[in-house]
Amino acid sequence: MSRVRKYMIRTMNSVSPDDSIDKVIKNMYKSELSVLPVVDHQNIFIGTIYSNNILKNIIPESFGFIDSSRLFYEVNEAVENLKYVKDEKVEKYMSKNRDAVRESSNMKKIAEMMLENKESLLFVVNDKGYLRGFIERSQLLHYLLDEATEEEERK
Amino acid sequence: MITTVTLNPAIDREYFVDKHEVMQNKFIYDSEDLKIYPGGKGLISAVNFKALGYKDVQNIGFIGGKQGLFFEKMVQKYDVISNYIHTDSEIRNNVKIIGKDPATYTQFNDYTFHVEKEEVEELLIRFKRSISESNYILISGSLPDGVDFDIYRRLIEIAKEKDKTVMLQASGEALKLALEAGPDIVAPYFKHHKSILDVEIESREEYIKMGREIQNRGAKYVMIPFHCDRLLFDQKGDVYQLSPKDYCIVNWLGASDAYNTAFLDYIFKNSFDFLEANLHAGAAALWISENREIYLESRDDYRHCLERLKIEKLEV
Repeated sequence: MSRVRKYMIRTMNSVSPDDSIDKVIKNMYKSELSVLPVVDHQNIFIGTIYSNNILKNIIPESFGFIDSSRLFYEVNEAVENLKYVKDEKVEKYMSKNRDAVRESSNMKKIAEMMLENKESLLFVVNDKGYLRGFIERSQLLHYLLDEATEEEERK
Repeated sequence: MITTVTLNPAIDREYFVDKHEVMQNKFIYDSEDLKIYPGGKGLISAVNFKALGYKDVQNIGFIGGKQGLFFEKMVQKYDVISNYIHTDSEIRNNVKIIGKDPATYTQFNDYTFHVEKEEVEELLIRFKRSISESNYILISGSLPDGVDFDIYRRLIEIAKEKDKTVMLQASGEALKLALEAGPDIVAPYFKHHKSILDVEIESREEYIKMGREIQNRGAKYVMIPFHCDRLLFDQKGDVYQLSPKDYCIVNWLGASDAYNTAFLDYIFKNSFDFLEANLHAGAAALWISENREIYLESRDDYRHCLERLKIEKLEV
């Protein structure tokens, strides 16, 4: 049985609820991630901050439906809104109690979770809830490819 | 969880050529002749801990730019947990050219990496929350441009507030300031300085005097490299000399990191026996230096080196 620990990315890149949105955006840009885990002062996973959550709050009404004629206006509005939002705390924009998976979880369970919840990335914790990293769809596909290869070899 | 700290990481690139000549183009066709690996003292120790079977090992520090992302990918390959503050500046590349005939070794050390003040403050915040699960913290290596010399002192103060044991390998001003925070185990090194605490040292007596001075300034235990030996200072005030015999050194790179790893490994697996831990540490360093390896692979590899090491108590 394949476990998450075999396929996961081990990283503790994270933010805390007290961090500013400004800091989150810089972290996301430099680390090339659009989702970051939120941890408490002991490094226990407590939630997730999505770039989408930030975007929704700076382009509140037309997010996802920007037509080209309004694009310039919307971008300007987003810039203006971000001037206020950037100094606000992560706590206000994070998704709390998001499901994290354990290092010891079965990869089959991860496949179900990702496909059913349409999650592109899940954070990984140890048995005590401490952050350990993440697993995303490319790792899921890697696992599925391994399974397919093994099955072919068995035949 | 074992925590190691690397503030000035580098991508190390080794090129093996038949003959190293200036003003000559060289072409490398065999992948065996080109090695690229993540470097930095704390990181090498982290990789060693993983090789020895430790489940959770994290490496904390700075990485920067696109090369930093590449560095992090390489770290992932060793299953070390990366915990880096991403900086704007690109991290370093160290280039080593090794000629076979005649045997030459040319190194280009890159010290261009720069870290901003706000990135340093971010590291301290991250460090504080990330060491919750660790009892031992290994801090080692040089500092990038932009990081003040008191950084190790600040890190040790945070660790001490959380009741952690700290092993420090540092040099120069950073070492001097770090002693104020009372690190438990200190191993000075001499990569850029032929002095300790601003004092030039040459004779064994001078080394011993400085070892004691390091203890007077805050360290509990001290291990000072003394040529191919180590001078060991325990908490009771006794001084020992660890010496290898019948050895043939072909490589220094990774030896002191193996030493640090095996020292802590002995303590984790047994108990705090300062001299025994140093013997095992010496064996690991000896194995690395005789085998052209950078990383440890298993305890069995270096265990046989124990018989070529002795510890002698010095009358001082």
